[in-house]
Order: sequence, then C-alpha cells, then structure tokens
Amino acid sequence: MMQALNIFSSIAAHAVASEPAAGVAQAATRTITQGETWMLAIPFLPLLAFVLIALCAAFKVRSKLPAFITVGLLALSFGAALTTFIQHFMGPAAAPILHVHAFDWLHFKAGPEAAQGFVANFAFYIDSLTILWMLFVTGLATLIALYASEYMSHDVGPGYCRFFAAFSLFVFSMSCLVMADNLVLLFLGWEGVGLCSYLLIGYFYKKAPAVAAAKKAFIMNRIGDLGLLMGIFSIYTAFGTVEYAKIFEFFRSGVDATGNQIGSSTWITIIIPLLFTIGAFGKSAQVFLYTWLPDAMEGPTPVSALIHAATMVTAGVFLIARMMPLYQADPNLLILSIVAWSGAITALWSATIEMAIFDIKRVMGYSTISQLGFMFAGLGVLTPEGSAFHVFTHAFFKATLFLGVGAVMHGFGGQLDLRRLSGVGWMKGFGLVAAAVFIGSINLAGFPFTAGFFSKDMILAEAFARPEGQIAGSQAVAWILLITAGMTAYYTFRSFFRVYVGPKQFVPGDDAELVDLGRHPKGVSLDAWHKEHGHGHGHGHEHEHNDHAHRHGSYGGVGDARAHGRQDFDPSTEEFDPHPPGFAMKFAIAACAILTIAAAGLYFVSPAIGEGGGWAAGMVRQSSAVVSAEVLSGHTSGTDEGHAHGTFLGMDPHHVMYYVSAGVGFIGVLIAAFLHGPKGWQGLFLGVRQSCDVAPRADKLANAFGPLTTAARNKYYVDEIYDALITRPLWVLSHIFHLFDQYVVDGLVNLIGALPRFFGKALRPIQSGEMHGYAVGMAGGVAVLLILVVLLVG
Amino acid sequence: MILFALMLIPLVFAMLVVISPAAQAKTIATVGSFVSLAGAIYAAMQFDPASAATFQLAKTVDWIPQLGISLSVGVDSIALLLVLLTALLGPICVIASYTAITQRLRTYYAWLLVLQAAMTGVFCARDLLVFYTCFEFTLVPMFILISLYGSTNRKRASIKFFLYTFTGSVIALAGLVYIAYQHTQLTPGSPWTFDISTLAETARSLPLATQSWLLLALMAGFAVKIPLFPVHTWLPLAHTEAPTAGSVVLAGVLLKLGTYAVYRFVLPFVPQAVVEYAPLLAILCIIGIIYGGLICWVQTDVKKLVAYSSVAHLGFCMLGMFALNNTGISGSILYMINHGLSTGALFLLIGMVYERYHTRSMKELGGLGAKMPVWSTFMVFFVMASVGLPGLNGFVSEFMCMMGAFQASDAWGSGIWGSLGHRPIGATAGNLGPWFGIIAGTGVIIAAMYLLYMTGNVVWGKLKLPDHGHDHAHGTDDHASKLPTDLSTREISILVPLAALCILLGVYPKPILSLIEQPVQETVLVVNESGRVNMPVKPIESDTKPHAPIADAPAEPAARVVSAENAQ
Repeated sequence: MMQALNIFSSIAAHAVASEPAAGVAQAATRTITQGETWMLAIPFLPLLAFVLIALCAAFKVRSKLPAFITVGLLALSFGAALTTFIQHFMGPAAAPILHVHAFDWLHFKAGPEAAQGFVANFAFYIDSLTILWMLFVTGLATLIALYASEYMSHDVGPGYCRFFAAFSLFVFSMSCLVMADNLVLLFLGWEGVGLCSYLLIGYFYKKAPAVAAAKKAFIMNRIGDLGLLMGIFSIYTAFGTVEYAKIFEFFRSGVDATGNQIGSSTWITIIIPLLFTIGAFGKSAQVFLYTWLPDAMEGPTPVSALIHAATMVTAGVFLIARMMPLYQADPNLLILSIVAWSGAITALWSATIEMAIFDIKRVMGYSTISQLGFMFAGLGVLTPEGSAFHVFTHAFFKATLFLGVGAVMHGFGGQLDLRRLSGVGWMKGFGLVAAAVFIGSINLAGFPFTAGFFSKDMILAEAFARPEGQIAGSQAVAWILLITAGMTAYYTFRSFFRVYVGPKQFVPGDDAELVDLGRHPKGVSLDAWHKEHGHGHGHGHEHEHNDHAHRHGSYGGVGDARAHGRQDFDPSTEEFDPHPPGFAMKFAIAACAILTIAAAGLYFVSPAIGEGGGWAAGMVRQSSAVVSAEVLSGHTSGTDEGHAHGTFLGMDPHHVMYYVSAGVGFIGVLIAAFLHGPKGWQGLFLGVRQSCDVAPRADKLANAFGPLTTAARNKYYVDEIYDALITRPLWVLSHIFHLFDQYVVDGLVNLIGALPRFFGKALRPIQSGEMHGYAVGMAGGVAVLLILVVLLVG
Repeated sequence: MILFALMLIPLVFAMLVVISPAAQAKTIATVGSFVSLAGAIYAAMQFDPASAATFQLAKTVDWIPQLGISLSVGVDSIALLLVLLTALLGPICVIASYTAITQRLRTYYAWLLVLQAAMTGVFCARDLLVFYTCFEFTLVPMFILISLYGSTNRKRASIKFFLYTFTGSVIALAGLVYIAYQHTQLTPGSPWTFDISTLAETARSLPLATQSWLLLALMAGFAVKIPLFPVHTWLPLAHTEAPTAGSVVLAGVLLKLGTYAVYRFVLPFVPQAVVEYAPLLAILCIIGIIYGGLICWVQTDVKKLVAYSSVAHLGFCMLGMFALNNTGISGSILYMINHGLSTGALFLLIGMVYERYHTRSMKELGGLGAKMPVWSTFMVFFVMASVGLPGLNGFVSEFMCMMGAFQASDAWGSGIWGSLGHRPIGATAGNLGPWFGIIAGTGVIIAAMYLLYMTGNVVWGKLKLPDHGHDHAHGTDDHASKLPTDLSTREISILVPLAALCILLGVYPKPILSLIEQPVQETVLVVNESGRVNMPVKPIESDTKPHAPIADAPAEPAARVVSAENAQ
C-alpha cells in the first residue's frame, strides 16, 4: 500500500509540473501541409463498405458476407488512420495539420460582392485532435463489427445487410464529422450519424418502443442540430468562411475580416458559442436534451456500444474541443462556465437514476450520460486534455462493459434485469465475459492505476484547481463531480455484484416485457415471480404471434436456442441453458478489455508538448483545442505558486486528488459490496445477498428513501413532464391549426366562392350551376380589383 | 427553334395519342415524353453556360404585332433547369400511370402531354402574354386529370383548384397589363409591347406606391400557385384527390410556376415594393413552414400529409427568395428542383401503395417494412431527402434558403448581434436577419417530426393491412392483383433516376450552383440598385491586412469563373 502511495506521489509530482505554456507557444504557429491522398481511405473505405453492402442487399445475399466486408474495410480504414498517426503524429512537438481535398461540395456566391463567397468542400483537416478521435473510432468500430457479426447472426439475410450497411455508413459519417475541414461537412457527419443512429435504434422495427426511441433520438438531436446550424450561419456571417483553418486564423489574430476586434463583439463571444453548445448538448445527451439516450438502448447492443457509448455521443465533446478558440474568445468565459455546470449537473442527475434502476443496459446508458457530463465539465474547467483523454478511455471501457452486457443478453434470452441474474461469472463460458466486465467496471469506478482513474482524475484535479472567479462556481462543480465519482463506483459495482458474482441463479428473458420493470413490483419472490412470469409468457404467445420469432431473435439467445433445435428452452423452468458467446464475441470483448488496460499506460507516455497528462494530453495540446496560456493564466502553478490557485480543502488538488478520488471510489465500491454483495467471500465478507432477486439491505434502504427511489426508478418522470409540457400542447395546437385551416382559412375561401352564387341565385333563381357562380364571382372580383388598381394607382 | 420544338413535341404526340387506338396510348405517350426529354437535353447542350444570364436559344415570331404581342421564347440557366425538370418528370409520370389508369387512356395521356407542353411554355416565354397564356393553360389539363381520374372527392377538388388559381392569376394579369399600359404612357409614342425585359425596366421606374399595388396584384396570382400561407387551401385537396401522376406534376412543376413567376416577374419588376414588404412576405413563408408543418403532424392520410408538407417546403423556398441575396435566391431556385424530385418521389411511392391496398390512411396501413422492403428503402431514402439530410439534395437548398434569410440584415453588426459598427463580411443588405433564420429553422425540427411520424407508422411497426373484404368504389382490384407484393421493375426504374439525382445534387451541387450564379447575381444587383433607393447598399469595408496563406486552400470564390465543363 505504501508503495502504491509512493507511486502516486511521483505521478502527482509529474502532474504538478503540468504547465502547457511552453507547448502553447509552440502550437501557436501552425502551418498547414498537404496530406497524402491515401488518407482519404479513412473516411471513404467505410463508405465503400456501405455501397458494397447495399449491393449485397440488392442481390439478396444471405450469408455473413456483409459482416466480412465491414470488418475488413473498417480494419483497413483503421490501418490508414494508424499509418497517418505513425507517419505524422509520433514524436515531433509541433504536429502538422494535414489538409486533404476530396472534391468540391458547396460553392456559391453568398452576396453580391466579390469577397462574399461560400466554400465548404469535401476536404479533410487532420490534426492531432482529429487523429486521436479517428484512432479509437475506426479501431473500436472494427472490433465491434466483429462482435456484431456473431451477435446479429440470428438475422442473417436482409436484416444483416441493413445492420451492417447502417454500421458502415455510421463510421463514414463519424469520420466526416471528425475529419471535416469545415463546419458544414462536420454538420453532414453530425446529421449522418444521427441518421444511422435512427436506423440502428429502430433496427427491431416491429417493436413499438424501438420505433418510438429511434424517432425520439432523431428529433431531439435535431433540436441540437438547429443550434449548430445557426452557429454555422453566424460564423459565416461574422467571418465569411466556415473553414477551420481560416476561422482559427481570425481568432489567433483577434480581428475579423473587416478589422474589428473579435473580443468586443458579444455576438461572437457569447451567442455563437451558446449555439454550438446547444448542438453539443443534443448530440451528447446533456442537460435537457438527454432523454433520448436511455431509450436508444432499444437498439442492438453492439450499436449501443459503438454509437451510444464510445463514439457518436462524444461528438459534442469533439465539437467544443474543436471550436475551443471560439470558446476562449470571451474574456469572462461565460459559456464555458455554463458548459461546466451543465456537465456536472447532468453527471449527478443521471448517476442518481442509475443507482435506482434495475435494467443493466439502461444503467450503462445513464452511465454514459453521466460520464459525458464529466467530459463536458472538463471542457468547462479548461482541461480539454482531460476531457479528450476521458473520451478516449471511456470509449474502451464503456465498449467493454456494453459488449459484456450484450453477451449476457445473448446468453440469457435478453434478460437485463439485475434481479433476475446472479453468478453469471461462474457459469460455463461466461468467465471471460465477467473478467472483461470487471476490468471495465474498475475503470468506470475509478480504481487506482486504471485508465478511467487517470482520465477522470485529470478533470477532477483541474476542476478544483481553477482559480476563484475564472470559471463561475468551479469549486462547486468540482465537489459535484467528486460526489458523482463515488456514486459511479457504487452503481457500477452494484451491477457487478448482483449479476456476475453470487449464487448461480437466473431467469431467462423472453421478450421486452421482462425488462419492463413497471410490471413487476419490487421485492417479489422468485417463485411468485416465476408463476407470474410463466403466465405472462403464455399470454405473450397469443398476442405476439405475428412477430414472436423476431422478438426472440432480437435478443439473440432464445432465438438461437430455438434455431438450434434445443429441447431445454422453457422460461418457466430453470432448465434453460445459457448460451455462451462464441469466438468472435469473445475475441472482441477480450480485445476491448486489453485495450482498456493498455490505455492506462498512455498516461505515462510523456506528452509531445507540455508536461503531465500523458499521450492524449499531448495530442490535444498539439491541436487547436489547446487552452491558450493567457486564458489559463491565474492557474500558473509552476511560476506563481498559490496565486489564485484553486485548492481542495487547502491542499493542491494536483497532489491530493489521486488519493481523494481513489478513496471516494473505494467507499462507493464498499457500499455496493455491503448492500448488494452475495454472502461469502465474493461479497468481500460484507454482503448478505443469497438469491438473485432479493438483496435485503439494498431493498430496505430503497424502501427507506420511499418516494425518492420511486421517482428515480421512473427517471424523475422527465419524459412524462416533457410530454405534458411540450408534446401534448404542441399536438393540441396542431389539431387546432388543422381545424382552423379547414374551417376558417378554407371556410373564408368557400364563403367568398359562395357569395356570387348567392347573389346569382337572388338575381336569377333559375340558373344555379356551381361553376357559374364561381365564374361570376371571379369576374366581378377581377373587375373590382382592376377598377381599384386603376383608380388608386393611375 | 429548339424551344418551340420542346413545346410542340408533346403537343404532336398528344395528337397522335388521340388519333391512335387506346391500346397504343401508353406507348405513344412514353415515346413522346422520352423524345421531349431528349429534346430538352439537346437544348441544354446548346446552352452556353458562360453567359448563363442572357436568354439563349431565343426566337421571336410576331403574333399580334398591332398590340406588340409576339411569340417570343428564350431561356436563361434558371429557366433551362426548370425545363429540364419538367422534361424529366414527363416520362416518370407516364410510366407511373401504366397500371394506375385503366379507363379513358387516350384522354389521360393526351392531356398529360398537353400539360407538359404548357409548363415548358411558361418557362421558355419571353413575352408576357405567351407566359400568361401558358400559365393559365396549365389549369385545363390539370383540371381534367383531377376531375376524371382523381379519388372520391375529385369533382370538388378540381373545381376548387381551377377557380382558386384562375381567380388569382386573373388579378396578376390585371397587374401585368397595367404595366404594359404604363409603358405606353411613360414613353410617349412607343407602341404597345409585352416584351418582359422592356416592361421590367418600365415597372422598376414606377414609384413605390404603384409598385406596392402591383406587388399585391402579382402576388395575388403567384402566391396562390406557390402556395403561400393564407391562400394554400386548394393544394391539400387537389393533391389528395389527384391521380398519382397528377400529384407528381402538381408538386414537381406546377407549384414551381408560381415560384418561378415570382423570380421572373416580381423581383425585377417591383424591386422597391419587394424590398419594402420582404419581411411581411417572409413572415407569411414562416407561418407556412410552422403552421403547415404542424398540420402535417396530425394527418392520418399519408397523401394529405405530403401535400401539406409542400406548404411548409415552399415556405422555405420563398423565404430564400425574399431574402433577396445571392444565397437565398440561389437556394430558392435549387429548392424548386429539389422539391420536385423528393416530393414527386414521395407521391409516386404513396401512389404505389395506394394501387396495391386502395387506402392511404395510416389507420389501415402500417409496418410495410416487413412486406415491402424495397418500397420501404426508397421511402426512407426520400423521406430523408425531404427532411433535409446533408448529403442529399434537400439539405443544400434548405441550408441556403435559411442562411440567405439569416444573412440578410442591415442590422448585422449592431445591437445584440455585436458592436462591429458595420456589416460583417458575411452579411448582406436586407431586412430579414437572424431571427427569420432561427424561427424558420424550427421548421427543420417539425419536418423531422411529421416525416418520421409518417415513416414510423407506414414503414416501421407491426404490419397492418386494410381488410380486403369491404372496399373500393373504384373496383380496380383486377389489375391490383397483377402487381407484385413489392415493387416491380417498372416501378423501381422510375424511382432510381430520382434517387440518383437526389444523391448527385446533394453531393455535387457545384455545377448547378455555378450555372445559376450569374443570373442570380444580376437579379440581386437589380434589386439592390433599384430596390434599395432609400437605403443604398454600403459596400463592406475590406480588410487591409493580408491573412496567412493556407496551403491548398481552394481559390477565393471571387476569382471563380463559371467554366463550361462545370456547367453541363
């Protein structure tokens, strides 16, 4: 233990010296060089995969060919990204900015003057921030595609094509988002990933919740997209360009194209970053725009792992990091304070929900929101390094956790309720899964020396280290994050202790109803539940006959069990044979787990620029995302120790945060062990749980909180509130509009049309053709108008 | 001559359809429409993109010289694009009708071809009365198509369509004739003329008060056709009741007659009044976007939903137009084409389902993804084009229309938008501004709401088919049984070109954008010079400081020249 502490101290000393000023000076002069054309392979190979799979679908391929195409081409894409990294971004302190032009896209005149041209090309801007993102996006996509090739095997045929087509298109869109050289191409990627997310969440399109979740994700994302779009318009209006290179040039020089000081325009310093932030909130499920992400768990688990945990949802973090020069232009850093607070509140809010709900996949969904909150808070407290590193580590450990959940779903007929699963890790074929999940869990919980620990720590330390008044309320943000870190450890190990260790008990899932917690009052005994469940199952058969096979198939295990002709399947008995993952899934899980462990090592790679924070921090400092020295000043611990430097209870947060966060994490895990741990050594001698569905201490505690627990389990009724406050009124308004349109707007027209008929009848009662009436009215109207025009105008 | 030929080819084939046996009608109409398409492509190849703003392929034949009326035709790049769109939709409409139309074939195909001739005439006309004749004449074939081949409520729909739009255009005619009259008054001794360019100059010289009345008169005709918010109610009815091909033509081209007329006659004729009332007109557009969009959201009839979506979409289109800057007007023109492609395709798709199940109600239909995967793929694709997904065509034009409105403000650089003191480089003269862009932008969210609501019900979800037991006043089940469950090759073949164009225009819109650059620039200059007399446009103060050059950055747009190979 003492040795560990010594190592801590040495790391801490390392971090104290974290002073990016030198690096900033180097990064300030950046030149753009022409990249090689083969780098276009990074985005376009996934697109090629999409096209090939579309052809597979057209030619009705009924094999695993789409998966092979995807895995192969994504691996090549990853290879290209890795080669780019090795050739250009290894070593030298001032990383290049590579510019690769594919083809012209949007070119138009945006105003009558010669200078007013709009240029947004299909061109890519590859700097160290980009390559950091692309490495884990393409790498993880390859692994998860491999995993999905087995996971989705129940659906080989059109569904398989559809899945992998959307999967490849997603990687292409994500590449455009990350690698774009202008904001409009970023927007293309931004909406493109939204489309793929829509298609993949709604993959099981016969299930009403999946369809609703897909729609919700797309629409809520569009709210954020509107903010981003308006931000892009504003940027163009202000600077006459949407290309990063030119925009950053303006920010570096501090004046815009017409010679005005950028800092003096509140529109540039406040409104534009606010618009971008709204966009980021939508994509990254923050604050009021988060509710789509938990529902997105309706999608197949590989999709949740890749899109809704590792990559797409980090796009908001990327956007803010990319546009960091814009955020720093405000001398008061107002928008960054908002970002910090939003992140912290979101992190805490969703952590409380996670502690109460029982669906292990949704726990992971909310956990993603919470971790994204950490990343946003990190951006807000001026540590894009910490945020980017956390994005990187989170991608791996959260993917591991999701793939583990997927293996459990696959094996237990879609069972997701942690009260129906216990001791999975001891079951045949699941040892590797449990081990991988354990690795993921210790990362998420922030165990010392794990990747997640280091990255979270960078954010926490910087949050405490902000000088007073630089970021409004940064101390409070830091405390909220610290508390949330403890809660994270608790909920992570709550799932782990319940599901993977303890007595070997389980109830296989058979369809979505099982995980619909509202139908099963908590605390029901296993036997009683079995009876109820058996009944429910039969009931389901009658009603869901049409797509019964599909529903089973959707959760993998049961569909497979049946397809393999097993006799043992019967959810109302315990003869169900869990279906352990096969080679592809095991390989992908193991690879993710190993990469998660390896990611911790990156913290010890000395950064290319500045000191401390490891490889990822260096990559960030080499890019435009770096926080400039002037903005950071006030936090110059190296040169001006103590001056306005924020502290943790009077201590230097850079030194002490390792111990504090480790301690908080341990406390969280111990509480989880005490409440949910099984009896015996697996519960570290603390637990008393003896069956899968009853954890006496936890249930007692949950009861003690009463309404609070209920509220959290119902996600604080946020969906219901949105429905009542926004959706319903809008729906009513739409109906009112519809009636108004029919009876008032159109009614007036009909009235005017009827008038001449009325007069015509009065004058000549014999003739009453409808055409006639209209024509009289028309001619009369024209005559009147002509007279009016001539009189008034002439 | 080629432009006259473009108008004559469909007419000749219409004659042939009439005199041939009914069994041959389909074939002749198909050949005719393809010949027209070939002619249009030939015309496009004759067109010199280097001078896209001048009216090329022009030809004038005296008609009534005493009144200065002549058969005068000519196209600039914008008219040419719309002619091409008309010619492209021709074969698609004919082929789409093969199985849907089973009675009175000769009448149907003949009128369809006549309609195409009339629409081509509108875009080619260089004489006001030729324009007006064609503009009004489109009503007759459409009236017949709806009233003879439409759904249950077709009589009412066709009469309403006819009278509503006719009344409007008669008022517009009054305005146009008044301009011609003023021309003889202002230049004493000059004969009557209906030449568009000449009259445009005359109209521009009229005082603001006169221009305002003229604006009202012209918009009375064109706004109905577009349709803008308060005068749109004929559209959902006509769209819903029209046969599939009728809806496609209606959405694809007929609505564009209105927007094109605004571009051709309102902007250059009464620029002062347009500048003055642009905010008002833009507000009508925005009401259309939001109000129309929300109404879509509560429809149960799929076709009516798409019909109402036209109100919202054309709102975007006209918002760009009334931004009166290059971005907005170019976007608006692109929108005309894009809306024709994506909404036309949606109507085709709905027609295909209607042919199979004889219902368009989402209460009776649903979850077709399981039964018709090919149809569903196309449906999702065109919904995405319609919703404005980047990479597909709808995005480019929607982006430009919104951005045009967003930029167009003299208020840029002051107030809450900054303390720059003068217009920043990306802003243009105008009186709309960011709020117009932002509020119109909510239409993007609403579009996602209603289009995904439709997709969620029709494509996704549990399979739901109407009861075949009690059905159909039409009694056309016999041919429906001949259709395969999913799309036939014929049906796929008419959707594929539309889909390909959606992708092409979304991924590589540059040729079209540069093609329309010159005429749009001229229009903007005309509006700025003669429209903003009270508030002359100050040029943007240029930056004196050079910026660090950016390696491999594309050339400055100012230096761009519209090159011949780009434009084709």
